[in-house]
Amino acid sequence: MTMTSIPQSAASNEPRKDRLRTRASSVRWARRREVLREVMRNPLTVVGVVIITLFLLMAITAPLLTEANQPDPYQSPRDWANIDVGPGVEGHVLGTDSTGGDVLYGIIWGSRLSLQLSLTVVISTLIIGTIVGSVAAMRGGRLDNFLMRIVDVFLAIPELIFALAIAAVLGPSFRNIILALAVVFWVKYARIIRGEIIRVKQTDYVAAARVVGDSTWNIYRKDVLPNAVTPLVVQATLDMGNVVLIGAALSYIGLAQAGLTEWGAMVSAGQSGILAGQWWVSTFAGVAILLWALAFNLVGDGLRDALDPKTEGR
Amino acid sequence: MMNSDDWLLRVEDLSVHFRTPRGVVQAVDHVSFEVKPKETLALVGETGCGKSVTARSIMKLVPEPPGEYASGAVLLRNLKTGAVTDMLSAPMDQVRATRGDRIAMIFQDPGKALNPSLTIGRQLAEVFGEHRAAMLLTQAGIDPEKGPIGSGSIASQRAGVLRRNFFHLTRRGHSRAIRAAVDDAVMSALSDTGIPNPRKVMSSYPHELSGGMKQRVMIAQALACDPDLLIADEPTTALDVTIQARILDLINDMQQRRGTAILYITHDLSLVRQFADRLAVMYAGRIVESGPALEVLKSPQHPYTQGLLAAIPRAGTPRGKLAAIAGSVPQLIDPPAQCHFSSRCTWCAEACTSHIPKLIHMPGDRDVACLRFEQADSIGVDPSDMPSHVASAEVVS
Repeated sequence: MTMTSIPQSAASNEPRKDRLRTRASSVRWARRREVLREVMRNPLTVVGVVIITLFLLMAITAPLLTEANQPDPYQSPRDWANIDVGPGVEGHVLGTDSTGGDVLYGIIWGSRLSLQLSLTVVISTLIIGTIVGSVAAMRGGRLDNFLMRIVDVFLAIPELIFALAIAAVLGPSFRNIILALAVVFWVKYARIIRGEIIRVKQTDYVAAARVVGDSTWNIYRKDVLPNAVTPLVVQATLDMGNVVLIGAALSYIGLAQAGLTEWGAMVSAGQSGILAGQWWVSTFAGVAILLWALAFNLVGDGLRDALDPKTEGR
Repeated sequence: MMNSDDWLLRVEDLSVHFRTPRGVVQAVDHVSFEVKPKETLALVGETGCGKSVTARSIMKLVPEPPGEYASGAVLLRNLKTGAVTDMLSAPMDQVRATRGDRIAMIFQDPGKALNPSLTIGRQLAEVFGEHRAAMLLTQAGIDPEKGPIGSGSIASQRAGVLRRNFFHLTRRGHSRAIRAAVDDAVMSALSDTGIPNPRKVMSSYPHELSGGMKQRVMIAQALACDPDLLIADEPTTALDVTIQARILDLINDMQQRRGTAILYITHDLSLVRQFADRLAVMYAGRIVESGPALEVLKSPQHPYTQGLLAAIPRAGTPRGKLAAIAGSVPQLIDPPAQCHFSSRCTWCAEACTSHIPKLIHMPGDRDVACLRFEQADSIGVDPSDMPSHVASAEVVS
């Protein structure tokens, strides 16, 4: 915390002087810095950011940290001489599972899968949800009604159960888990963005934009969307964690390929050994899932507090 | 009233209805008036009387649905060519080309009428991009007919195409000249409204400015393209009293310099006294009285106008109860065919609850909608059912 606060305070004296002569673009950056500073004032958010950064580094440098298994790096290399050994054994810092798979290797390469899962699902659902929600809100009327009833149908079924059903129909594979989660997650964004757009559409500055002769598309692009996305950003951040949580649950019950270095699958694989005292496989994989979900929740909450002026504690 | 050719805006028989679950609200009910070039007309009435809906109808801004233009026309005359456009029936791209260019509008609360996520400079630049792209390109030394504008031809004069090309260039920084021309245009628009240090204001966000400053920005934006008509929807209600006068002086000053006609939507009668040439009083969706502002204020004829003027608290009057008009504004959901003011009127008679009074033209270019000025036989009721008659000769006193 002290580490981050020193450069912050140095930056806060600066803008005042150069704001007078800078152009609009740098003012925009100054405002982004302000939001960033606001976010970073919460120590819990900083913790979240640090954890996420570490996970990102881990995912990026995975081939450097451990030698990639051939042909499929997302299957742990089997060390048949060391089955079910505990943490701290030479060559296996976090131990191995019942097929000699290295737990540390699994967690490192699993972070890549988690990143792939959450980014693919969140970005694709964000785009789909934004398009559907925007069309509904901007067009209104019957189309709005029609789209929102579809959304209602999706929302009526609990996320996990719905995703489970889809993934089960598609058959066990990691790609199908991604697909299933994408089908489930877009509705929330559609609902949120629709509500926000309807709120923004009633503001005077949208009326003012129409008064100067702007086209609907231009108003949407310049006035409506930028002022409506904030809750979406927060929700997307939270979902980066939620998606991995549900994805892990699905692979835990066996909807990913066998032996995949996915954290949920690892928890499942290590489960049978727990009663025999081999706690390490499930525990370390579980901690990885926990930290991932926790980190994104902390950052999401921090973002919400920083972006919503009505939240207490400012 | 409708004889001369010297008019800029003519609202004819305008009715605007809102469909609600409880019934049809007749927010504006057969309203007609006109604004002459360079003239200031004040549309006065209490909250909910339909004056804002009337103003927004002129811009075709009433949301449809639930709103609906049930009847009438909003005619705008091009002062140079004499061509007349009906805003309500014109195609949408023509309406958009008119908005901001020939009719502009300032809103009640400047704090809400500026996009919080764009800088002032960017918001003003959009107006120029929409209506003055070709001019700015010429200023930047680029031939708007050809120019390095990519695929779309500027000559097409389609505002949308223009703007997209335009901002593509400015954003990418491909043309410093265009950016400089836009900046210059925005700066001079801002400094015209007396904003000190316009360059700093340009790069500010709305929340960094004071209320008075924001209203100046709104005025700059409204007058950017030299409109023929400025609609000011209660431009000072959200401002401090000390700033109100300065903003009104500014609008007045801009009007003197540019010859803009102004339509004030207000309930502030002291504003009317100072700035308006003519006055139209609205009550429950109808115009009840209109005429030269000072004349109407001096000798109001309609009972509602009389009540409105009596209700103004004045400094210097002895302490005591303030005068108020008894009763409240009637519901406008499926209203009965009668004088809407009848329930609050001291002169109310039998005929008032069965007839809608027409606007009666009177000497001195005045109009009043009250049965007291109508003849019993012209509407076909028994004279004993009529309210006490006022001869039109008595009006000009």
